Amino acid sequence: MTQNLLEVQGLKTEFKRGDGSITAVAGVDFVIKKGEVLGLVGESGCGKSVTSLSIMRLLKDTPGRISGGSVRFEGTDLTKVTDKEMRQIRGNEMAMIFQEPMTSLNPVLKIGLQLMEPIMLHLGYGRKKAREHAIHMLRLVGIPRAEDLVDEYPHQLSGGMRQRVMIAMAMSCHPKLLIADEPTTALDVTIQAQILDLMKHLKEEQDMGMLLITHDLGVVAELCDRVVVMYAGRVVEEASVDELFARPQHPYTKGLIQSVPKLRQNVRRLDSIKGNVPDLSQMPAGCKFAPRCDYVTERCLSQEPELLPIEGLERKSRCWLTQQENTEGGERL
Amino acid sequence: MSDNSAVMGTNSPIPGEVIAPEKTKGRAGVFIRKFSKQKMPLVAAFFIILLFLIAIFGPFLTPYNPDEPNYDALMQGPSAKHWAGTDEYGRDILSRLIDGTRLTLAVSLSSVLIAGVLGTILGLVSGYYGGWLDRIIMRGSDVLFSFPDLLLAIGIVAILGPGLSNVVIAVAVFGTPSFARIIRSVTLSAKETLFVEAARSMGAKNRRIIWRHIFPETVPSIIVNLSMKIGGAILAAASLSFLGMGAKPTEPDWGAMLSMGRDYLSIAPHIVYFPGLAIFLTVLAFNLVGDGLRDALDPKMKN
Amino acid sequence: MKETPLIEVKSLKKFFSVKKGFFGTTRYLHAVDGISFAIRKGETFSLVGESGCGKSTTGRLVTRLLEPNDGEVWFKGQNISHISDNQMRPIRKDIQMVFQDPYASLNPRMKVKDLVAEPLLIHTKLSSKERDKLACELLETVGLNSIHAERYAFEFSGGQRQRIGIARALSVRPSLIVADEPVSALDVSIQSQVLNLLQDLQEEYGLTYLFISHDLSVVEHISDRIGVMYLGSLVETADKDTLYDRPMHPYTQALLSSVPVPDPTLKKERIILKGDLPSPVDPPSGCRFHTRCPSCMEICKQHVPIFREVEPGHEVACHLFDEEMLKLER
Repeated sequence: MTQNLLEVQGLKTEFKRGDGSITAVAGVDFVIKKGEVLGLVGESGCGKSVTSLSIMRLLKDTPGRISGGSVRFEGTDLTKVTDKEMRQIRGNEMAMIFQEPMTSLNPVLKIGLQLMEPIMLHLGYGRKKAREHAIHMLRLVGIPRAEDLVDEYPHQLSGGMRQRVMIAMAMSCHPKLLIADEPTTALDVTIQAQILDLMKHLKEEQDMGMLLITHDLGVVAELCDRVVVMYAGRVVEEASVDELFARPQHPYTKGLIQSVPKLRQNVRRLDSIKGNVPDLSQMPAGCKFAPRCDYVTERCLSQEPELLPIEGLERKSRCWLTQQENTEGGERL
Repeated sequence: MSDNSAVMGTNSPIPGEVIAPEKTKGRAGVFIRKFSKQKMPLVAAFFIILLFLIAIFGPFLTPYNPDEPNYDALMQGPSAKHWAGTDEYGRDILSRLIDGTRLTLAVSLSSVLIAGVLGTILGLVSGYYGGWLDRIIMRGSDVLFSFPDLLLAIGIVAILGPGLSNVVIAVAVFGTPSFARIIRSVTLSAKETLFVEAARSMGAKNRRIIWRHIFPETVPSIIVNLSMKIGGAILAAASLSFLGMGAKPTEPDWGAMLSMGRDYLSIAPHIVYFPGLAIFLTVLAFNLVGDGLRDALDPKMKN
Repeated sequence: MKETPLIEVKSLKKFFSVKKGFFGTTRYLHAVDGISFAIRKGETFSLVGESGCGKSTTGRLVTRLLEPNDGEVWFKGQNISHISDNQMRPIRKDIQMVFQDPYASLNPRMKVKDLVAEPLLIHTKLSSKERDKLACELLETVGLNSIHAERYAFEFSGGQRQRIGIARALSVRPSLIVADEPVSALDVSIQSQVLNLLQDLQEEYGLTYLFISHDLSVVEHISDRIGVMYLGSLVETADKDTLYDRPMHPYTQALLSSVPVPDPTLKKERIILKGDLPSPVDPPSGCRFHTRCPSCMEICKQHVPIFREVEPGHEVACHLFDEEMLKLER
């Protein structure tokens, strides 16, 4: 059996706030296979960004701490390794790109130097070889005049270019897993199309696994193989991308897909999900989505459902109704 | 559709909506909590409250008449009868200190408040309207800034004549530019906020925008600056009195007490020490409170 | 007899001077470079485009938060392009704005009822009690509860704050509401709530909207007519169905094809534009879009295309549809 690239089990992350703490990630499970693109979808406050930061162990400067669960990267539990060991993995076998390319690049260092840093550190190349490799990477991500750009500063580039540089930097050491946190959200739509296109090519050429975090369902449909939907710090649904859009099981997923205005849809009124995301410090008892759910039952309000697989398919859902229908063998929602 | 308000604990009509019930206390509550968490500023704040109480109830607290000389007990060191000793006229120093609290606080507070009001008006007008008005006001304050504080104050008092009320004017004048500058910079940034633009798009007059939208943004800076400047004002008034340009010898202004006492520093140093200690503690207390206020009003400081 | 449009914009231009360096030359940022459109009463007209296209600046020109450098803005048959603040004030009762950032557009130190009633305070002589009453009614109209009136804005979520902003705009019963990216900062499921609200309010109060957005799906849903902007110019204007069914300008086509569709089974052929958005300080010569246009011709590099009607209600600025220009090319 091939080993999974990334296995997250029961991940819990808490943030200290005042005298108490709030749980941003409350037991998240998912798996990424080699070469697979997994989408982590949810709205603000669902915990997707915190999940990615937890996986990369980047919580040090925040009041957040991993308080439970495991993150196995090719078998090694990242929650248990030392800082030094983590640094050897980060940027090397596991890389991350962020939403705001303006703030992720050092404004006072030339692009070339920033690219060369992980190359020299992890691949052990000398300066000359590292510079050549950097130029090669810039070309790979579709940057014209790479040999000139290598000597420019971040502020001289546009948002789209900076994001390409970030991707080049992340990929320079041939990582096995790339974590991309809202990589195109801050970009204009025509530039976003370029970057998505680039990422699709890289995915095919490099056989790299990817964890794509986004709130944009269109981006998910474009890039992902499998999708995990998060709500209030929990996974509420997991499915292949085709299954998720064709037959969403969890009411939140359904609501989300229905509320996105789609081109050429021609409806009078948009579907929406009533209410708001609950405050993390004041979670309702039972299912966290129950107060907003159109199918809510008594049981939903008092008992929190577990994330259980659906018979016969590689899918999971955290919903009493799905469970019910599944066991009854009747038709799904 | 079941009623979920029991679950949510709120009475909002939109299920799933949570509004933290405690927050209606408003920002005053948050501010007091934040301030109270800092030990030194809190202690300093109590000290200042104490000072105010002494200033108000002073006349009833003095063990002796602060103006009454006692030629039988000249320059006596601290004792059971006179906790702070007596000065060169036999007057009880403690009583004079207590009596002087009102004077000292009155002088420093009024000069700082005048500077604050003037400086805020100038800063608001300068920052909001810009143009030639801004340039005049800023060049004017640059001129005032270029003088060393004390020299300027001395100059003003020299023109106006000695006396504590002129000291107030002098200190107010040299304190105004710094207020103007600070308030102007807050105004400049407040002017660019979206809610000010929204007010303008609604058709609000400039007067309303300045008063309702920009001035409230400047209040934290005003408060902090006020508390910081009070220390300086006390010292300035003290220095002026020290130089003989402020209080009359009979007035128990702390600085004047210091001034008179310097002639006797070698034989009766307590005449200088006690007023000096009072000035030191008060200035320190105001500075600490200013620090604490600044930190408590800073929205980025975590609770 | 053609009805006078509620608002009309003619060859509107706005530029800002940008100084480069201490001794540098003054350059000009052409934020809006000669655009014309008209909005009929009761209509929703959307301006759509990417960063630097000038749509937000246009919104501010229409509300006279900015004064045009050239061209005209006409509101209800009156030329408001250069009137003074005092003359503009009564007109402001009729044109209100909803802003993009629900956090920054509400004064954090004001109670919700004061926020909502501020336009009433400015434009009417209602007493404080009357204003409070109206504020509570308005809150209910936008789907909030009147008990929220005594709270402060920071206690609410982004979607709720945007409702407060809408209630505020609605308070003086304006004819025109300029909405500058009103849902861009909101989560998807909240976006749809607010869009539905805007539509309901339009029906109930007979509002006219100038809707500014970068999101083509949102714009399609809410608009009657749409104008596509690129680098300060309008490249295409049409009613909704025409624009989305038969986009003519190459930029519009690329824009429409770039939108990622939430349907994995739809494998579409994307038009991927080369290069980046040029800087509005240094726009390309001729047609602003020529540097990225897949159909660029020689004439495009030298001549600015004219914005003309190519079929009823459908205007485009592109040499591909200009017979005279095409002759030049050959």
